[in-house]
Amino acid sequence: MTTLLEEVPPPLAPVPGVARALRRRRRRPGGRLYAVLRIGGALVFGAVVVALVTTLVSGSSQAFGHFGPSLLWSGTYNVTKDQYPTGVFIVGTLVTTAVALVLAVAVGVATAAFLSELAPRAVAAPLSVAVDLIAAVPSIVVGLWGLLVLSPAFAHHVEPFLKRVPVLEWLLHGPALGPSMLLAGVVLAVMILPTVVALSRTAMAGVDVADREAARALGATRWQVVRTAVIPGARSGIEASVTLGMGRAMGETIAVAMVIGNTYTIPHSLLAPGATLGSAVINNFGEANPGLDRSAVVALVLVLVAITALVNVGGQLLLRARARATRT
Amino acid sequence: MTALAPGPGAPTDAIGVRRAFVRERARRSLVRRRLASRAALVVCAGALAASLAPLVGLVAYTVGRGWPVLDGAFLTHEPTPPGVPGGGIANAIVGSVVIVALGAAMAVPVGVAAAMFLLERRGRIATTLRFCADVLTGVPSIAIGIVAYDLLIAPGGLLSLGHYSGLSGSVALAVLMLPIVVRASEAAMAAVPAELREAGLALGVRRSRVMRSVVLRGALAGLVTGNLLAVARAVGETAPLLFTAIGSQLFSLDPTQPMAAMPLVIYNDGTQPFPAAQQIAWGTALVLLALVLVLSVTARAAAARLNRRAR
Repeated sequence: MTTLLEEVPPPLAPVPGVARALRRRRRRPGGRLYAVLRIGGALVFGAVVVALVTTLVSGSSQAFGHFGPSLLWSGTYNVTKDQYPTGVFIVGTLVTTAVALVLAVAVGVATAAFLSELAPRAVAAPLSVAVDLIAAVPSIVVGLWGLLVLSPAFAHHVEPFLKRVPVLEWLLHGPALGPSMLLAGVVLAVMILPTVVALSRTAMAGVDVADREAARALGATRWQVVRTAVIPGARSGIEASVTLGMGRAMGETIAVAMVIGNTYTIPHSLLAPGATLGSAVINNFGEANPGLDRSAVVALVLVLVAITALVNVGGQLLLRARARATRT
Repeated sequence: MTALAPGPGAPTDAIGVRRAFVRERARRSLVRRRLASRAALVVCAGALAASLAPLVGLVAYTVGRGWPVLDGAFLTHEPTPPGVPGGGIANAIVGSVVIVALGAAMAVPVGVAAAMFLLERRGRIATTLRFCADVLTGVPSIAIGIVAYDLLIAPGGLLSLGHYSGLSGSVALAVLMLPIVVRASEAAMAAVPAELREAGLALGVRRSRVMRSVVLRGALAGLVTGNLLAVARAVGETAPLLFTAIGSQLFSLDPTQPMAAMPLVIYNDGTQPFPAAQQIAWGTALVLLALVLVLSVTARAAAARLNRRAR
């Protein structure tokens, strides 16, 4: 043993220059410039997040100070007192998002099941790429189409037809105008559909093949495999896709502002025009006078950011739960 | 149970009868389940058609309405005053390119550097930043526009120019792109095998050099894809530009002045009741759509190409 130890070359430390270099490297892994670069990047990024939050909070503080917390559920619109019906906008946001989710989830999950499980690969692969590409269509183009094509079609054909459908007629009364909560929900559904399909498809593709084989071995048909093995296995991923789609639907502003009609009263039916938090901001910020008026609009933005952040955090937690579940 | 009535050759003992009964039940169940499977297939295929129809219809309609408007003059001329026929969107095309290019020039270096930070550090700070990136991705773009207005344009803002400018639109778009760039870059760099990095470090190579020669090179495909997708997303955004770049009728290359952008043209002209204005909106929508699709396809193609070369 002693001979072996004697054969080991002496440690580097006695050579003064090397020791200094080693010490320096330990202090700044990879040199000064690199440290400045990556820490600087992280700092700038952190600063952006902080600036975003503080600007919204300080910008809306005047309105919250003036109206108090009742600002959050106020239903009155009073131009001379710079008051906005936040409650109406929140209802509008929730209703349009609900319409969009009902449509997009039903159609989107079935589409994802078809692309991931049922269709032959030669069909599924190009269609999956098509859905992914369509997700890139800018929302302003969807809005333009909704305003100039869907809106007249809804006013003349779709809405009069839906009003005659037995159960739906309870939700749909009043004149068929075109711009409405229903149309906004449909436009939002078109926008979030690619998100729901893409994420659900990924979740379904991630289900263990052994689960499918087990169901198959018990005599399940292809659909039963999907229903009993794939969809339950991909459940948290599907839920995450729905939650993230929901966040997108709530935060979308420009397309909604183009098709919702922008009225500031509690809508009595899905055919009535309305307003969402986002569309109200777009329509009022430009004309808002500096001071309390503008602060009240910024308060709308803050409420919108808070709601979407909550939804998105929920979605991220679901995605993370799924990642943890698949790892174990 | 008529099928179970004893016929010629039918089992006569109790066990045989029972076995035939079970077999018949299984056969019926299979027929029923196969039928259900077939029906589900049809329903799901119908869902695919239902989800593709509006999306394909929207693209087809935009091409159909926009194509007749598109010609050399539309792409190279400035807009004419209302009522004067002709005119184009050259200012909006150039404005979009300048605003997005400046935004990317801000977001990409910062985002990639922050991704390096996340890659090198595992700890509470890194976890917090990653969480912030995820939440920031979901922040409505209108909120970013409003904050950019407050900080960069409103009198008394932190870095206020005092008037609308293309540059403030760039900053808003940069903030929009930043979380996408950070997360995509980190994912691309994390995909480089840790063994390669460790091999470099074991040779005594500096971390900065490992990052440059091993990680960045290995992650090039992912970096190009992620950043191009972020740019594609930013080009089509309207809400962050509404109260920052504000739009302009004039051709301008000066980002400190108000600038036109394609989404703003679509919004302003598309919401007017005049057919001539709506024509311009459709034409602009087609140009924007084509640009976004080219960027997305390029991003995917680049990823596939570089991946193949890396292998």
